[in-house]
Amino acid sequence: MYFDIVVIGAGPAGLAAAIKASQRASVLLIEREAKPGGILKQCIHDGFGVVRFGEKLSGPEYAQRFINQLKDTDVKTAFFSFVTQIKRLEQGFSLHYVCKEGVKHVNCGKIILATGCRERTANAISVFGDRCSGVFTAGAAQNLVNVLGVLPGRRVVILGSGDIGLIMARRLTLEGAKVLGVYEAKPVPSGLSRNIHQCLHDFDIPLYLSRTVTRVFGRDRLSEVEISEVDENMRPIAGTQQRVQCDTLVLAVGLIPENEVAASLSLPMDGRTKGAIVDQTCQTMADGVYACGNALHVNDLVDYVSESGETAGFFASQERKPRKLVPINVVGGFGYAVPQMLDLNCDAKNVIIYFRTAQPEENKRVTLTVGDKTVFSKKYARLLPPEMERIAADLSDAQGEITLKMED
Amino acid sequence: MNIKTVCKKVKRKYGAEVFASEDERSVFVRGRAANWQQAVEIGKMFVKKGKHVVNDVLPQGFVPPKPMLPKVADDKLQGTHWDVAIVGGGISGCAVARELSRYDLKILLCEKHGDVAHGASGANDGMVHAGIDLAHQCLKLKYVVKGNAMYGEICDELGVDFVREGQYVVFTSRLIKLLAKSYLVRAKKHGIPGVSIIGKREISNVEPSVADFAVGALKIPSTGAVSPYKLTIAYAENAVQNGVTVSLDTAVLSMRREGDKICSVTTNRGTFTADCVINCAGVFADVVAEMAGDRYFSIHPRKGTDLLLDANAPNAPTHSVSLAPTLKTLGQNKNTKGGGIVKTVDGNLLLGPDAVETPLREDTSTTAQSVNGVFEKQRKASPKLSRSSVIAYFSGVRAPTYEEDFILERSEKVKNLIHVAGIQSPGLTAAPAFAPDVAALAVNYLRSCGKTVDANAGFCGKRQKPVCTKGMEEDSLQQLIERDADFGRVVCRCEQVTLGEIKQAINNPLGVATVDGVKRRVRAGMGRCQGGFCLPTVLKTIAEQKGVRLSQVCKGDEGSYVAAGEIKSGE
Amino acid sequence: MQLVCIVCPNGCRLDVTREGEGVKVEGARCKRGVKFAEEETIRPMRTVTSSVKTTVKGWRVVPVRTDGEIPKDKIFHLMSLLKDVTVTTPLPIGSVVAENVFGSGVNVVTTADMEEENE
Repeated sequence: MYFDIVVIGAGPAGLAAAIKASQRASVLLIEREAKPGGILKQCIHDGFGVVRFGEKLSGPEYAQRFINQLKDTDVKTAFFSFVTQIKRLEQGFSLHYVCKEGVKHVNCGKIILATGCRERTANAISVFGDRCSGVFTAGAAQNLVNVLGVLPGRRVVILGSGDIGLIMARRLTLEGAKVLGVYEAKPVPSGLSRNIHQCLHDFDIPLYLSRTVTRVFGRDRLSEVEISEVDENMRPIAGTQQRVQCDTLVLAVGLIPENEVAASLSLPMDGRTKGAIVDQTCQTMADGVYACGNALHVNDLVDYVSESGETAGFFASQERKPRKLVPINVVGGFGYAVPQMLDLNCDAKNVIIYFRTAQPEENKRVTLTVGDKTVFSKKYARLLPPEMERIAADLSDAQGEITLKMED
Repeated sequence: MNIKTVCKKVKRKYGAEVFASEDERSVFVRGRAANWQQAVEIGKMFVKKGKHVVNDVLPQGFVPPKPMLPKVADDKLQGTHWDVAIVGGGISGCAVARELSRYDLKILLCEKHGDVAHGASGANDGMVHAGIDLAHQCLKLKYVVKGNAMYGEICDELGVDFVREGQYVVFTSRLIKLLAKSYLVRAKKHGIPGVSIIGKREISNVEPSVADFAVGALKIPSTGAVSPYKLTIAYAENAVQNGVTVSLDTAVLSMRREGDKICSVTTNRGTFTADCVINCAGVFADVVAEMAGDRYFSIHPRKGTDLLLDANAPNAPTHSVSLAPTLKTLGQNKNTKGGGIVKTVDGNLLLGPDAVETPLREDTSTTAQSVNGVFEKQRKASPKLSRSSVIAYFSGVRAPTYEEDFILERSEKVKNLIHVAGIQSPGLTAAPAFAPDVAALAVNYLRSCGKTVDANAGFCGKRQKPVCTKGMEEDSLQQLIERDADFGRVVCRCEQVTLGEIKQAINNPLGVATVDGVKRRVRAGMGRCQGGFCLPTVLKTIAEQKGVRLSQVCKGDEGSYVAAGEIKSGE
Repeated sequence: MQLVCIVCPNGCRLDVTREGEGVKVEGARCKRGVKFAEEETIRPMRTVTSSVKTTVKGWRVVPVRTDGEIPKDKIFHLMSLLKDVTVTTPLPIGSVVAENVFGSGVNVVTTADMEEENE
């Protein structure tokens, strides 16, 4: 079997990529789970699609719009299918995947990685103590409530004020759990302001900053957690420990792009995004391999996940000239910026750059320059690490150094 | 040295008043110490050749915590009679049970937790030791060398993965390299095969991660790796296949003695009688001995912490490596081999373990101090390892005696009691070798009482290896999936575990249907996401397979429920 | 009063001051923000998402939402109403499972297509 393009992952990025690519190419969409939608299936809260549809949809509703579109395309789908091997051929790639019918082999011209992200765990952030039940990542807790229909616990401490932590605080409260507090190691909340407002303030759930969970206690089920204040390097301060009685600890301590499949292709990665290095078309440094969505960098809005999927899908379905890559230099307090490279031999009229600051910033000017020509400039009253920014610029016929700069 | 002199020495050194007495078997010490560490050190001072130490020196005001007991209470075992009752389902108890199942005997194994290998057997680095660290003749040395040689065969028989990839002890100074020649002499004397000293070039080729500082290495090719809990489970399952009753959630609470024999054993599930009792109780071995009025040794629990690295950890060594002691560290820390970087049978690396004396026999909690300490120490052998590669850490509690050797004998005082005690590292390596000898002790005792003990005619030592789809040849996998489509449905993405394997793990011969039970049997949840993705499916599958509600499924022992209840149920 | 606009992810910081019957809003980047601030001060409203029980194969719960906003102080009232709702047939997305809740004119609708099994 041969397809022009194989898309791995049918979450929001993969759906968008497959739909877009199918306009010009034959596409196979491979998904591990029973049906498309990815993590959106369990994100039953609303707020998705404001940018794209001007509506506040729930996760399943947002996914359904793309699933409906997918039905009108010629995209072939393979569900309950798990990619076990990718090999580069002289021309294109060969893929093996396991599914309910057995082991399938397909060849393809290009691959789009839309494998999403995974959650950091208790061990990754140094929570110590007993091996009891009752410690969940936020995503697992969300699945339990929203898919399996069970309550993980009744007295809940949430570590991490990222959006998932905030959403889960509200969700568990609505279903009858007592959320004792959301604890955040950073001095500022990590989630969107509107989520702080409508998930915590609405329900009088306290938010404790510069504090983290350092230890868990419990013989069989969690019975207590130890909370410590942290210093500016987020290290626990001795002597500040407090115990909180609870039966559940939900960890919303960050997401990391999932790149297990990418690892087998030895793609050059960006240490800051933890995703592959790409050009403006979402093509990685390996010809023919594209990456999009949260596999590329963790987004806070699904609208941008879909957008990058479409970018990858569109360009992967085009004939591409051999690339002429130049770096997009980044100067100033950026956490990261994507894409990291520009292909001068490809369309660059509407290059979209997503970036985050490393620290909260006020009154900063962000400029994008090519040589001594400024192609984009904007003053931001406020820039926060949890809130990703998106800029679009014309970088056609770029001559000279390309630099994204943040200054006062 | 006279024990009175030792008491005086203790007084001089610690200012502690202790009293000692002795009989033919043991030295008994009691008194007060400033803290636990000191109490242990005092106990060690009374160790003398040919005798055990019973140390009742305790810190002022110390009250030992109550042992964890199962929540169940029923009469499942009430009034039953057994030829042999084994107390404890660690590697020792399970291996002994399996070896005894070669005989036509009614055998019971009691384990107080909800699964076997709950203690140290489930929380160690899985290294199959060569025995090179042991200098003198002792039971440990006898059985470690013998056990090591048996591993390939026993793992093959029991359907457990085993690899023998050797181990390198890296020298950082020429002097140490010279001194290490004594190891070659020792290896020859003790029958440890293949040990050699290799030069800088060879070790740098084999293990480039140490090239910067290695001047050579001791190569120990017979060192291997096994999953300690999988082997324990396999022993238990094979024992069950051959007629042994494994009673989980069953804690021995007391024993009644008549004359010089144990006549009955009381558990939370009723009182039973047994002709012979085998004490394989690990950290509680001395407590069980005490129940029989036969406490002639003490267990002083020693906690160790290991760190598990991601299978794809960058800059990681590709073999088991450790640094040889330097002149400075030589002589310190006699009771641990100093830990190292261990390549597990699954290909991940483990760092550790450390060794911390603790009065808490069941304290398997992890601490920042141990985790950070192990990482910093073991990283010396591989300086480029990153902390972010650590995906999990765990602690186990070793069960050493003060003599630091195994006790494998029939009690002198209680005729129908056999002790398998003090089984700490290299107990996992030694178990396949000592288990048949312990079984023989029991059989000989029963025969000496006039009982006829025949071979178990139906014995089959071969245990079917559970299906593992990861790494399977594609043709075989295709056939397997055609037979059962569940083997084509990957549930745990990190470790590539299929629904078929999870169902198989849930329906195991021991009847363990817990999230941890699945994790240990087929590795679902063992990888970098630590179960974040597969937990819901595992939970659901257990509930479906066992016909219970989701909120009844436990992570491990009873009480460790995962979900508190259904939503919208009005609860 | 300081408010954070929750209409969209921009999260504008709004300065709201009461002016007689109405309010004065500063800091909003769009008209929806002004409206939000007015409502939030006088009568806060929320969309509620949750899930309801079902007997349909392959589903344990079905996600639902209100198709409009309800008063914030009615959220828990709604949650208790949802306890009595059970979906017994595979419904298309957007099906009403509770009509005109407490006379607000707002319905509760399903937000997932139940054509295919969820698990």
